[in-house]
Amino acid sequence: MTELEKNIRTEAERLLREGLVDVVVAFRKEDAPLRPQPAFFTRVEDLENLVYDGLCANNLANYLTRFPDETRVGMLVRGCENRSVNALVVEKQHSRENLTLIGIPCTGIIDWRKVVEHTGEDILGYEDRADALTVRARHQTYQLPRQELLHPSCQRCIHPNPLSADILLGEPLPEGDPAFIRERVESFEALTRAERSAYFKLEAERCIRCYACREACPMCYCEECFVDHNSPRWTESGTSPAGTHAWHIIRAFHQTGRCTSCGACERACPMDIQMTYLTDKLGKDMWDTYQFETGLDHKTQPPFAAFTLDDKKHFQAGGAQS
Amino acid sequence: MKYILPKHELTLLLERWSAGHAVLAPQKAGAYTEFLPFGAQSELCLEEPHNTRYPPKALFFPQSEAILKYKRNTGQLENIEVKPEKRIIFGIRPCDAKAVALLDTVFAEGENQDPFWLARRAETLLIGLGCHEPCATCFCTSADSGPFNTEGLDALLTDLGSEYLVELLSERAAGLFDGLAHASPAQQKSAQTAQTAAEHAMPKAFELEGLKDKLDRVFDEEIWAQLAQSCLGCGVCTFLCPTCFCFDLVDETQRDTRVRNWDTCMYRVYSLEASAHNPRPTRKERTRQRLMHKYSYWWDHAGKLGCTGCGRCVRYCPVGLDIRAMIRKAGAYESEVLHAN
Amino acid sequence: MPTNPSPRNPYQPTPMRVLRAYYESTDRSLKTLELSFENQVDRVAFFQKFNPGQFCQLSVFGKGESPLGVASAAWEGDFVRFTIQRMGSVTKALHNLKPGDTLGMRGPLGNGFPLADWKGKNLVIIGGGCAFSTLYALTKHVQHPKNRQDFAQLVVIYGARSSGLCMYKHDIQSWYKRDDMEVHQAIDVPEETWDHHVGYVPDVVKQIAPSPVNAVAIVCGPPIMTKFTLPALVSLGFPPEAIYTSLEKRMKCGIGKCGRCNIGSKFICKDGPVFSLAELNALPADI
Repeated sequence: MTELEKNIRTEAERLLREGLVDVVVAFRKEDAPLRPQPAFFTRVEDLENLVYDGLCANNLANYLTRFPDETRVGMLVRGCENRSVNALVVEKQHSRENLTLIGIPCTGIIDWRKVVEHTGEDILGYEDRADALTVRARHQTYQLPRQELLHPSCQRCIHPNPLSADILLGEPLPEGDPAFIRERVESFEALTRAERSAYFKLEAERCIRCYACREACPMCYCEECFVDHNSPRWTESGTSPAGTHAWHIIRAFHQTGRCTSCGACERACPMDIQMTYLTDKLGKDMWDTYQFETGLDHKTQPPFAAFTLDDKKHFQAGGAQS
Repeated sequence: MKYILPKHELTLLLERWSAGHAVLAPQKAGAYTEFLPFGAQSELCLEEPHNTRYPPKALFFPQSEAILKYKRNTGQLENIEVKPEKRIIFGIRPCDAKAVALLDTVFAEGENQDPFWLARRAETLLIGLGCHEPCATCFCTSADSGPFNTEGLDALLTDLGSEYLVELLSERAAGLFDGLAHASPAQQKSAQTAQTAAEHAMPKAFELEGLKDKLDRVFDEEIWAQLAQSCLGCGVCTFLCPTCFCFDLVDETQRDTRVRNWDTCMYRVYSLEASAHNPRPTRKERTRQRLMHKYSYWWDHAGKLGCTGCGRCVRYCPVGLDIRAMIRKAGAYESEVLHAN
Repeated sequence: MPTNPSPRNPYQPTPMRVLRAYYESTDRSLKTLELSFENQVDRVAFFQKFNPGQFCQLSVFGKGESPLGVASAAWEGDFVRFTIQRMGSVTKALHNLKPGDTLGMRGPLGNGFPLADWKGKNLVIIGGGCAFSTLYALTKHVQHPKNRQDFAQLVVIYGARSSGLCMYKHDIQSWYKRDDMEVHQAIDVPEETWDHHVGYVPDVVKQIAPSPVNAVAIVCGPPIMTKFTLPALVSLGFPPEAIYTSLEKRMKCGIGKCGRCNIGSKFICKDGPVFSLAELNALPADI
């Protein structure tokens, strides 16, 4: 057990024992190799199963919308998770008073598929240390450099620190450069329309409409998703290209001003589809147009969710400039 | 009949087959392996310990398939006939081949047989590649199958290092291996040793004996809520599963076509009724349905287990849920809690 | 290795045409369609297999299919009757059909009522709301002189929320004059011109107190009605093997293939929709 894990367990235990929370949302030991799982801890005796390391790959904020507002939720949050929680609180999905955020400055989530790819072997176990990942495979043990194994969203991460944690465990890390995401979007924008279209189709047409991306995303909590609406039916179900293109494009648009670039969608996808290039583009547009970045606090209204009389009207024909 | 196929002669053999059949074999498609048409440029991917990602059931039961065309205003119908080409699916793993045979009980038996499934089955040969090195997510030996199981296969290959031992399993594949040398007793023994070693390399995932009855007895218990807690309710497990067959029928208005699409019991809308009543309102009921269907109801319907232990659901579940652990816990609940009281 | 050289496409509907269409309820939520067969051979095949209690999947091309209980008996004529409650996109489209319009039908599907097991027995038919449609088919079947002698007493209890929602009003009026059956209608709250029962069906059943001796009870109604009527029958002495009901669930293929409509190991479309209470008690609570 690492020092950090010990501290997390101690905090979780304190919160439960003192009755400050009804549940602690964190991670527990893997059943399948490389796959620690999200878990809800309500009893102190279960905390011995709590783990935390770089293979904890899910955005825990996703589970916040499962709890009614009255439930006092304790949640482990890294940088992106804290921003997702803020975005959810702004959208009134849970009250901030009933949340205790145990914040962890994040050194990045490791993509388990990269581990498999790097070794080319069947993996049996691992140990995540600050500098390297020790991987026990069927034929030999490997020491792999962590940085290369990180999920691309983490390699581009601007805010690894939880911005509004109630309890901070660990030393804050240097913030990332906003240019990381901007450059990525701009290099895609620089492609010709035909190239962009071809890339989009190449990615989107592998889609099997399993909606793992949607279900892994903290911001997709609609009781009825637009793809399930049938009177009128907005998109074709099944794997027809028209329906699948619509799915990816419309979901990206529904994330505008709400996505925190956490990459949970891509990590969840069983077909390795790239999606964040779409949401990162919309995120960049939100910054350029409205100077808005999602989830920096739990009070600022997102531009597309709020209306004030002094909103910009520059896009209106003959409208006032502001 | 047992033959020897040297590995360096494999592509020649597949080329020979390509003269009369469309040959599909595992090849890299981007980051992962998929059954793709074999051609001159093909780079076969046969050495990976794990399976293809997308299940080969799709080669008989496509994820989206038009089953009817109609004219909206006149009601005139156009029957869709499937005329598949002759195919050989090479390198299919025994878990997936057994799954195809299991799906025969759904689509190819009884009163309402599926003409689309039958047409493809009639024109396809399945040449299997046994798994000499099963991976950590495989559990076929616990799921009434094994790394060299022959159900559903027309022939089975065993990797002996620099060659394959080919076991002919059906008359239909007889001509495919003409000209190959017969396997010597020593080579056959080698194959047997490799097979036994592979079977023993897989730890027992759960006790299958008596499992159905245990699950039937825990149906109403709260254990299911615990097991379903972190489940996202997406469709990864069911869509990647080689034995899942639930489907939806949808009229695609723009194309005047009725389409059959894979569906999943894991979605809330799967059982949602027009009155807004939902017999499976939470993930607890839906997770229970999935496990009960595979590990209990399949026995009632077909006299067989509805899972072949391929491990895809374990490997690709976005939250790392492991069906083996869930089954163990449900079974243990019965033994330790229900039974004890 | 499966072989079946030219199997029928089980998803292909039979072409039908609307013969008659009329509203049953004053609020127009319930509409009856009587459909004729475009092809003689389909008609013959249908009636060879048909049994009251079965259902069909009605297809409105471009909208989809909806499973609906058959509301007519074979002897009534060369048509098939359905009474449809307007709920979603397909039933709305069915409501918009007029005489002469074409549509599709797959059926008859399901097991139907086990009439052979009920020979010589008293039939206590209990229906509520629009679920009465297949019970209407059953009653019509039993009423025919050729069939009537197969059964002993016939008691029909039919409740609706209000008199306006009562289906088959005209025909049911004539039942009061028959000497081969008893009919009891009920509505939830009193109305001025209503001189039959007032009250919920489970209470009316307890009031009428049909005898369980040599009897079977068949209950079809909204879940809330069934939930209270089944125990009422049990308390009157009906054993679970003698109580029958017809179940509903979201359906698609209707032929036990798409996996959707199961309760435990039974498919409602194939092993049902008619089940005895004894059979239901053996199934898990999945409805």
